[in-house]
Amino acid sequence: MDAFKVLEIKKNVYDGNDRRAESLRGSLRRDGVFMLNLMSSPGSGKTTTVMRTIEALRGELRLGVLEADIDSDVDARTVAGSGTRVIQLHSGGMCHLTADMARQGLDGLGTDGLDLVILENIGNLICTAEVDVGASRSAMILSVPEGDDKPLKYPMMFERVDALLINKIDALSLFDFDIEAVKERVTAMNPKARIFPISAKTGEGVAEWADWLRSAVRDWKRA
Amino acid sequence: MHELSVVIEVVKTVEEFARENGVTRIGKLVLQIGELSSMIPKYIEDCFPCAVDGTSMADTKLEIEILPGNGRCRPCGEVFNMVANRGACPACGAKDAEILSGREFMIKEIVAC
Ligand SMILES: Nc1nc2c(ncn2[C@@H]2O[C@H](COP(=O)(O)OP(=O)(O)OP(=O)(O)O)[C@@H](O)[C@H]2O)c(=O)[nH]1
Ligand SMILES: [Mg+2]
Ligand SMILES: [Zn+2]
Repeated sequence: MDAFKVLEIKKNVYDGNDRRAESLRGSLRRDGVFMLNLMSSPGSGKTTTVMRTIEALRGELRLGVLEADIDSDVDARTVAGSGTRVIQLHSGGMCHLTADMARQGLDGLGTDGLDLVILENIGNLICTAEVDVGASRSAMILSVPEGDDKPLKYPMMFERVDALLINKIDALSLFDFDIEAVKERVTAMNPKARIFPISAKTGEGVAEWADWLRSAVRDWKRA
Repeated sequence: MHELSVVIEVVKTVEEFARENGVTRIGKLVLQIGELSSMIPKYIEDCFPCAVDGTSMADTKLEIEILPGNGRCRPCGEVFNMVANRGACPACGAKDAEILSGREFMIKEIVAC
């Protein structure tokens, strides 16, 4: 009769990914390759910022880019135009990347000789924050048109990142976006987060961001 | 969308567990979801058939247990349900509680048959 059997699993759903992320972080550490997880809503300026960052660090750090998208390769084409090593990852409808996908991307890119890989995550403020991809550091972009209330609405991302870029400051006069209020809110939630107002369009503030990233890579390599 | 991504991961994990434990047919999968987790049970139920389509779990039934979202009021120590009280302490009214439970998202068990 009783032909069934209950097997307890008792596993946190995220455990599998967390384990794979930790192991990826370990192999990046052994290879001396720093991976930055760059997140934001769609259209905040990730690709434009990546291009600016490539320019700012050219000749100093050997850089590669992983472009993640649901199903296109526009961003990878843009980055490839700068002569940078880049690969496009397709998430096939998934709204966030997992550590497995990041590893596949890194394998496809080939990290030998690279100091820094920037992973442009899928445009999404919610679940990309929850899923560890194995990066060494993480940064997010909030752009002026999105509004200064986003740290209140999507706290998880703001609580966890190492750096916050406030992008599109060239458009400040068009929006009632209060930079000081964002700084205050974010610092209260995440005191260690560094905040950089930038315009990826005009290049304003990009040097300060690039300085931070350069030192973050160097400090990490020395650690 | 997010639920589908996550449920696909769940199915992978469960299939792996089943293989390791010599289970060939899974009759039922039981998940536990905290009231304060970002997962919405209804969406999980809706996307489950898609996630198991074409896998060894195509005929597996899904059961979801909800775990209460409880918090302890920092000022007065009262323990209360965060959802029913909208985060405000029913004893002193403060909105400053430490979350005790309710963020879980667990694969509890499978019923093999
Ligand atoms: N005014 C202004 N526009 C910007 C700035 N940065 C980016 N943009 C514009 O914003 C739009 C989106 O920029 P992208 O860099 O493609 O944004 P993204 O975050 O990579 O977008 P997805 O990959 O689709 O999520 C483009 O039209 C950019 O030219 C900026 O600093 N100021
Ligand atoms: Mg982009
Ligand atoms: Zn997601």
